[in-house]
Formats: sequence, C-alpha cells, structure tokens
Amino acid sequence: MFKKILIANRGEIACRVMKTAKKMGIKTVAVYSEADRDALHVEMADEAVCIGPAPSKESYLVMDKIIAACKQTGAEAVHPGYGFLSENATFSRRLEEEGIIFIGPKHYSVAKMGDKIESKKLALAANVNTIPGYNDAIDTPESAVEIAKGIGYPVMIKASAGGGGKGLRVAFNDQEAFEGFASCKTEAKNAFGDDRVFIEKFVEEPRHIEIQVLGDGHGNCVYLHERECSIQRRHQKVIEEAPSPFLDPATRKAMGEQAVALAKAVNYQSAGTVEFVVGGKDKSFYFLEMNTRLQVEHPVTECITGLDLVELMIRVAAGEKLPFKQEEIPMNGWAMECRINAEDPFRGFLPSTGRLVKFGPPADEAGHVRVDTGVYEGGEISMFYDSMIAKLIVHGPTRDSAIARMRDALNGFVIRGVASNISFQAALMQHPRFLSGNFNTGLIAESYPKGFDASMVPHDDPALLVAVAAAMHRQYLARNAAISGQMPGHEYKPGADFVVRLEDGTDHEVSVVAKDGGWDVTFGGEHYAIRTDWQFGEPLYRGTINNEPFCMQVERRGLKYRLFHWGTQADIMVMTARAAHLQSLMPHKAPPDTSKFLLSPMPGLLTQVAVAPGQEVKAGEVLAKIEAMKMENVLKAERDCVVDAILAKAGESLSVDQPIIGFK
Amino acid sequence: MHEIIQQLDQKREQARLGGGQKRIDAQHTKGKLTARERIELLLDDGTFEEWDMFKEHRCNDFGMAETKIPSDGVVTGYGTINGRMVFIFSQDFTVFGGALSEAHAEKICKIMDKAIQVGAPVIGLNDSGGARIQEGVAALGGYADVFQRNVMASGVIPQISLIMGPCAGGAVYSPAMTDFIFMVKDTSYMFVTGPEVVKTVTHEEVTAEELGGAVTHTSKSGVADLAFENDVDALILLRRFFNYLPLNNKEKPPIRPTQDPADRLDFSLDTLVPDNANKPYDIKELIIKTVDDSDFFEIQPDHAKNIVIGFARMEGQTVGIVANQPMVMAGCLDIKSSIKAGRFVRFCDAFNIPIITFVDVPGFMPGTSQEYGGIIKHGAKLLYAYAECTVPKVTLITRKAYGGAYDVMASKHLRGDVNFAWPSAEIAVMGPKGAVEIIFREDKNDAEKLAAREAEYKAKFANPFVAGARGFIDDVIQPHETRKRICRSLVMLRNKSISNPWRKHGNIPL
Repeated sequence: MFKKILIANRGEIACRVMKTAKKMGIKTVAVYSEADRDALHVEMADEAVCIGPAPSKESYLVMDKIIAACKQTGAEAVHPGYGFLSENATFSRRLEEEGIIFIGPKHYSVAKMGDKIESKKLALAANVNTIPGYNDAIDTPESAVEIAKGIGYPVMIKASAGGGGKGLRVAFNDQEAFEGFASCKTEAKNAFGDDRVFIEKFVEEPRHIEIQVLGDGHGNCVYLHERECSIQRRHQKVIEEAPSPFLDPATRKAMGEQAVALAKAVNYQSAGTVEFVVGGKDKSFYFLEMNTRLQVEHPVTECITGLDLVELMIRVAAGEKLPFKQEEIPMNGWAMECRINAEDPFRGFLPSTGRLVKFGPPADEAGHVRVDTGVYEGGEISMFYDSMIAKLIVHGPTRDSAIARMRDALNGFVIRGVASNISFQAALMQHPRFLSGNFNTGLIAESYPKGFDASMVPHDDPALLVAVAAAMHRQYLARNAAISGQMPGHEYKPGADFVVRLEDGTDHEVSVVAKDGGWDVTFGGEHYAIRTDWQFGEPLYRGTINNEPFCMQVERRGLKYRLFHWGTQADIMVMTARAAHLQSLMPHKAPPDTSKFLLSPMPGLLTQVAVAPGQEVKAGEVLAKIEAMKMENVLKAERDCVVDAILAKAGESLSVDQPIIGFK
Repeated sequence: MHEIIQQLDQKREQARLGGGQKRIDAQHTKGKLTARERIELLLDDGTFEEWDMFKEHRCNDFGMAETKIPSDGVVTGYGTINGRMVFIFSQDFTVFGGALSEAHAEKICKIMDKAIQVGAPVIGLNDSGGARIQEGVAALGGYADVFQRNVMASGVIPQISLIMGPCAGGAVYSPAMTDFIFMVKDTSYMFVTGPEVVKTVTHEEVTAEELGGAVTHTSKSGVADLAFENDVDALILLRRFFNYLPLNNKEKPPIRPTQDPADRLDFSLDTLVPDNANKPYDIKELIIKTVDDSDFFEIQPDHAKNIVIGFARMEGQTVGIVANQPMVMAGCLDIKSSIKAGRFVRFCDAFNIPIITFVDVPGFMPGTSQEYGGIIKHGAKLLYAYAECTVPKVTLITRKAYGGAYDVMASKHLRGDVNFAWPSAEIAVMGPKGAVEIIFREDKNDAEKLAAREAEYKAKFANPFVAGARGFIDDVIQPHETRKRICRSLVMLRNKSISNPWRKHGNIPL
C-alpha cells in the first residue's frame, strides 16, 4: 500500500479523499492555489504545496506543478478527485511516465471514454443501448440543422469534451439548432479548448440514472447499483439519490450489466460511472457517457452499499483485487444527497461569494447524516471556483424516511454571510412530484418556470411557527425582567397573553406560560409544550414540541422574529393585543422603487457596460455583463427604457444591489 | 362623595380625548399615534403616573380664553421601562397642533426638575407645530426654560428625544441638547427654518422630507441617531435602547444577566482580517461575535459609516463600542466620524459606561474639503473625548493603527486601561509604502530598491511587537480569544477609579 498520496484537487472532495487516506494510515499531500492558502483541505493534509495563483488554469490544472509537488513531497500516487485533471488522459499518462500512480482508470480508458463520439462507438460495439444520433463532429450550423432534421426534433447539441452542463443545448426547431450549434461551439472552445460538437435525439420525459462501476487490475468489474440524478437545474445536478425510485430489479440488472460490459471493453480499473438517460414512459435506457472518475454524488452509493469508494479506488490502484463479487454487494435502505451551493435561489440562483460568517452543518446524533465539505466558519467563498460548498447526505431505511431526515437536516444547516440554496432544496423536499418519485429531469424547469421565490414554500404547519415565535418573544421578555436597577416592589412582570401576527396579516391570540425547561403555548384550542435550551443569539432553536423533536433557524430583526423552517422563511411579530391594535394603524410602506436602476444581482466584476447615457434600450437588450464564479452573467433590459446615467465603470468590483445604470 | 369621584373619572375621560375624536382620527390617518397611545407603548403596562392632567393655558388673547383643553397639548409624568424609572413628556398634536405654551413648557420643566432630583432619565416624544403664537414671548420664554433644564440635566441624567412629528424653529434646540435623537420615517421632520423660508431666502426648492426628514438627519446631517419605520417600531425599539442606559451619572450601567459564556472562543475570528492589507472586512462581525448574545445596538448606522458606534453588553454589563469600519473609506477618520464618535465617547464617560475600541485606522482623511472643513478642530474632539474619559477603556487593534489616528483611538498614551493587538496589527507612523518613500527619498526612482526597503520596513514595523516592546500594547492576543480577554479586562476594571483635576469645565475644541 502507498505511504503517501497527493490529492490534486481542492474543496470538499480533497477533504473527502484525505479522510479515507487517514483512515488507511496513508500520509496526504494537498496542493493549493494562492486563493486557497487558508482552505480546509490545506489544513487537513499532512503536507501542502502551493501550486500557483488563484485561477485554476494557472494552478489546479497545471500538470507540471502537480508532478513537481509529487516529487518534492515523495507522494507515490495522485488522487485527482473530480473536475480539474481527473479525466485528463494526458495527465494520467504523464504520471505513469514519471512513475507516479494515478488513482483512477488507466489513461487509455480515460482517453476512450473522454471523447463522447469515440465512447459512443465503443458502446455500440459492446452492445450497450445508445441514443440515435450523429456521431461525428459537425462543421457548420447549416449541416447541424440538416442533421437535426434527419434525427427529428427535439435534439440535443453537445460538446464532445463537455460535461457538468457546460457545452450543452436542446433545440426544438431549425432556428434553435442553428443558434445552439454556434453558441455550443464557442462555449466548448472557451471552456475545453475543443470545439467539436455533435447532435443526438433528445429523449422525452428523460430521467438521468447512472450506474456506479468498479474494476480492478485483475479483470474484475462490478456495478454498485444506480444513482437517480434527475433533479437538475440547467443540467446541473441538485439532488441525487440511491436507489432510484423508478428502476425495477430487472432494469437495474440490465443497466448494470451493460455498464460493466462497457467498462470491461476499455479494461476499466477504478471507480467510474456510466450515465444513462432513461425514458420516463417506457423505461427504455440509453448510454449517455462514462465519467472516468469519482462522482460528486458517490456518497449515496457508499451509504446503501456500506463501501468506501475512495478506499477501493486506492486499493485497486495499489494493485489489490476487488474484495467482493457482484452478488455480494448489498443495497441497504435509501440515501439522498443535496448539493449545498453558494447561490441565491431568490435571485435567479446567481452565485454568491464572500466570507462565511457562520457555517454550521446539521448535527448528526444518530449517525444518519453525512456532510462532505471543504469550507469552515470564517472561510472565504471565492469567485474562482465552483459554487458547491457542501454535500448534505442522509441515509434511512426507506425513501420517505430519507426525505424526512433530509428535511430535518436542512433545517439545521446554518449558513450566513453568503446566500445558499437551502430553502430551494427544502422546497424540493416537499414537492409533490419529487415525493411521488414520478419525475424527470424537467421537474425544476417545469415547476419554477419564472424562478423561485419565498412564497413557493408555504409551511405545512404554520401553528409551529406561531408557537415558536410566541415562546421566543416570551423568553426575551423574561430576560428584560431580569435587568438590574428596577423600582423596588414595582418590577416588570411579563404578561402571558400575546397576539402573533404573521406576514399575511393574520393574527393569532396566544398565551405563553413559563415551564421548567421551556414554555407552554396555547392557542386556537391547541396546546404546544415547547422545551428548549435555546439561548439568545443562537441561530438554531432546537428542542421538542409536544415531545416531538424540532429544529428551526431563528433571528430577531427589529420587532420581527425571522423563522426558517422546512424552507419557509417567515417574519413574525409578537405583541400585546393593545400593541397589535396600534400596529394595525401604522401605514403600510411600499419598498423603495428601484425600477429606475439596474442593480447588480450579485457580487462580481463588471466586465462591460453595453449602453451609454441617453440611449434608448428595448426590452431584452444587453445592458451590462458581470463576471462571477467564472461565469459571465448578462444583464438585459426588463422593459423598454432610456438610459440616464452610468453609475459603475467596467472593471469595477460590484457588491450586491449596487446600482450600475440609472434610467429615465 | 360618590358623585365627586365619578366627576373625576369624567374629567379624566375628557382630558384623555385631548383635541377630540376627530383630531385623533386625523392623527391616525397620518399614520401617527396619539400622545397617550405612544406612552402606553413605551412604558410598562399600567405604570404611567400622569401629572398635570388638568393643567390649562393662561392665554386670553385671540379667543384663546374659550378654547382651553386640559393637559394643554402635552402629557407628562413618569413610569417604568422594564421596571426602571423614566420621566416622560409626550406632545399632543391633537391639541393646538402640539404647540408649546407657557403652561405646556411648565409641565415639561416640572418633570425634568424632578427627574434631575431623583436621578431618572427623561424621554421626550416630540410632535409639535412650534411655539403657541397667540402667547408670544411667554411661549418663547417657555422654550428657554426647557433649554436651560436640558443643559442642567446634561451629563446628569440621560435625555432622549423621539421626534414623531414636526419639530421646527427654536423647538429643535431642546432635542439638539439631549443625548440621543431618534426620528420616525416619513412622519417627522426637524429644521431651523422650513422649506418656504428656505425658498425665499436662498431660492432653494426643497421638500420638508428632504430638508429635515428622518433619512436626511440620520444619513446626511448626523443630527439624529436612528430612523424608525413607524411609531410602533420606534417606541418598542426605544424600550430596547433604554435597557442599556444607567438611570443617572452616579449609577453603574445596568446588568442584564446572560448565559453567553465569558470564555466563549470564536475561531472564525482568526480569519477575519484578510491577508491583503488593502482588502476590507466588516468590523461589525467582530463586534457581534464578541459581545453578549450577539446583541449590538448600533447608533447612527447610516451616518459617517467609516466609524461604528453603539451599545452592547459584556457579561451582562453595558459597554459602548467604537470601531473603525474598514468597509467604508478604509476606516479612516474624518470630520463626520470624529464628531460622531467623540460625542458618543463623552456620553459613555458621563454615564460610567466602559468603552471598547476596535482599531483599524489608516489615518486621517486627507484633502482640501477636510482641511477647509476644520478637520484639525473636529478631529481634536475625538482625541479630547478619549483623553478626558475616565471610564474603563479597553482597546483592540485588529490591523492598521497609523499615525495620529493611532494616538487618538484610545491608545495607551490617552490612558487606555488595557490595550490589546491581534497578531495582524501594524502600529506605525504610516503604511510601509508611504514610509519608505519618505525615509528613502533618494531611491524614489529605483522601484526594486524601494520594494526591498518596503519589505524591510514591513518586517520591522508592520507588526504589534514594536509597540509591545515599549509597553504601548499590553498583550498580543489570538483573535479567537477576543471575547474572553476583553471580558476579563472589564471585570478587572469594574472598580477603576481615576479623576481629572478640578476645573469649572474643560474647553473641548467645539
């Protein structure tokens, strides 16, 4: 076995790999860019080597620097994680030439599968189902349209080297095929330096289901069941689960066997994933691509099989044999993963960067919750890398129990300083189609066609919110009652009766009585015994209501208590009846009119202002471009307008809501 | 007897109606509460002891003899806020537009006199059209009587003004002399001369809101300390504010027990100061993570944002916080921020409130606008305030403490009791770049040489140990132990006793 390995990656996956290495008694070497000097993976590693400036093409993607780091530290093997150089055959080959072991498949397997056109031909040869399509690179948009017509719309236009949602377009007609081809080609060139693009049939009601395979250097290859990855937003996976609620044992077996056949066709000797698109109507399945690396969502497979995929990768790379046969692989319970991203679901999922003022993953007393993360409280989410900051994984005996555990875990996940998609994940966890298991990759786009806002997550049981807000308020009053310097004999005594006013304006009369270890709240004829050890200022309000455990996120903002629970964010006021009456007399104030301005929707770099003062702009015209998280975001006019003044210069770093352009 | 008692109830009932139901409704329509409703929200239930309910004006001119309304446009008395005594006057806009008469002023003076005698704060709820014109000089005299008492009470008992309607002309000078002015957005304004006069004299067209609204005074002029959304918000949050204040200058600030451990460590503070000295960070995060229960009551949040001031508690006891804000103008000191912080420091000193100062200051703001505006004298206010101050002073330098601004910000030399620095602190006359350009002027065209000099200067001076070697810094502490170290220092200082030499009063550079 290796004595020391280098992890050529950053973030949660670098930490994840190190955890296993430590468990196996292998020393670890981290590499890091200048932006990651204080990152968790650097802290965790036994040794760390700086490999250059923040942009990944000057650090994490530079093979020479990683190879030099191996030599400098004496690392015998390299685990590439996912992304970066993980599927780069050249890297794998170069390591081999240097006598360093690549913890992953052999470079020839990577090369064959890394090319989407090549891999499809291989799949055909191995009798793996493939989607009808045109499997050679296409030169011009005109021929793209011809080919698309031949296959029949809808079609998918894909970059040969694409992945992770990049370089991918769906076209429903000639015009879209024409435009999609051009933009796909440009994007592919920019993102991957390879502008080959191909076209295939777009499967309707498609589900994205993938098979985890694992091979060794002794000719053994098995499949570790499937992962359901259909919950996607703009082709980016959001929630993954194992097993899939859609597959029956026969389909699972058929898919698994095809996946193994394909892996064997390239002598696959590591963990890999064969992605299939599965028709939601007929369970027909077609090979999409093989990812020759560890996947982001591998933990769900680990949960249901009880295996450590990273450990197996390392053992196989060290020449060991797989320690089990296909029929010995368990499938135990249900696992689910939510990707926790630094993005703002209420602002079109724009990336959010900055300092993690608070970061508290949910508690896991019972061992059902796993959090893979590479960040920590006080750390920085930089604009240089992707926005995923943690993976929240739960395991339960059934799908329903896994969902229930996920909802609880999301309640307890505290992130402040940068926006996160937790409320969106919580909304999905109560989406009827998700709960039913009957969904496809279109679920998010169809359910939230105009984006996501707070009103889309109504609370199942608003009474809980009322009771907790009332108890919190009473606790604050109790604290006031303890202040020194009161008039002797005339001390302040908090009352018991309050009015709780919800955001919709409804009032609830409640009474709150102090009890040992909590508060008894009564309203609407119901009784809520809240027991909690919550202290002022703590973001998590945990305890029991009528002996049922619960956890909410709370914050006092002026007169309002902001509660966050099951994805719902509620601003609640608690007052005496008299104060509530007087509050009703207060005028409702509309928020300030910002329609006269183009505000920066996210922190980022203003790369271009496309208009000038006095210019008339039509709705949909480009106004400005902002770069954040490696992504260019184009800001377009929402309506026809005339530009009054330019308020920010290109090259300027913008904060969120900073005005860029004023309109007349 | 029964009848007489009933008559009292009737008289009270009538007095409580003030200017009558119609005017009460009009007040409500404007989004404002009445004088008595305001008191109800501000004080603990049932604790208001009203005085002079039956007081009436004595004016007989212009038909005033026929219109006497009991209370005469202001409700006065005392009560408690969370059990702690407070005197209060609340002007009643439904009675003569809340205009101040001689009798009205007498009522205010009466409670102020008593407040000074017993040592309890005064809160004024202002909602008045101005002087009662019918009374002429008698009303003006009334104002002056109130002004005189404001001054006598200053530094003896806390005085708070909540502007909840118009407050114009001479009337503004009573709130101006109180310790804190709060305003209600959209329904209150303060100015010396109104928009019409402004138009006649200077030909400026300006609305009352632009000229003297809550937003103007809390962001532009700095006259007011906070702007609240509406009357209810203002009154309930004023209760919260009141909890921080001692009742008078002989008392220690109140203690509100907390469960927040004094030895709580926060490791996220270890990464608060960025590696790059030119990169800002939010000093409020340090404040919130240091104080009890993350409760920080910020004052003047929208004015002179380059300095942050406000109240918090440490181990239950009120403290005043002054902190440079690197997010705004790199946290430098300028005219506005010096005045803002200087006045706050003096309030804390007057009322025995310990001061925690968080320092990250690159110096004073340069430029003609600052010099012409008198930064020398205004900057001196903050210096004077810190130097004069005898309450416990705990100072923490997080990053930059350059030049004269280092001296000003509660340095050891100004009798700082405990002066800490984080390892990231740089205490020097100026930043390395500027310093090297002056010391090694002859190398100014040799970038390479200058860079080497800069590195040398940085290694030598851009750290807290030079100051530590001189004893100007008592200890260099780990960021994560900030709360613990400050808590211990404050407990050590609880019985601190020093006094300044006798004098009639000092001569602060006004």
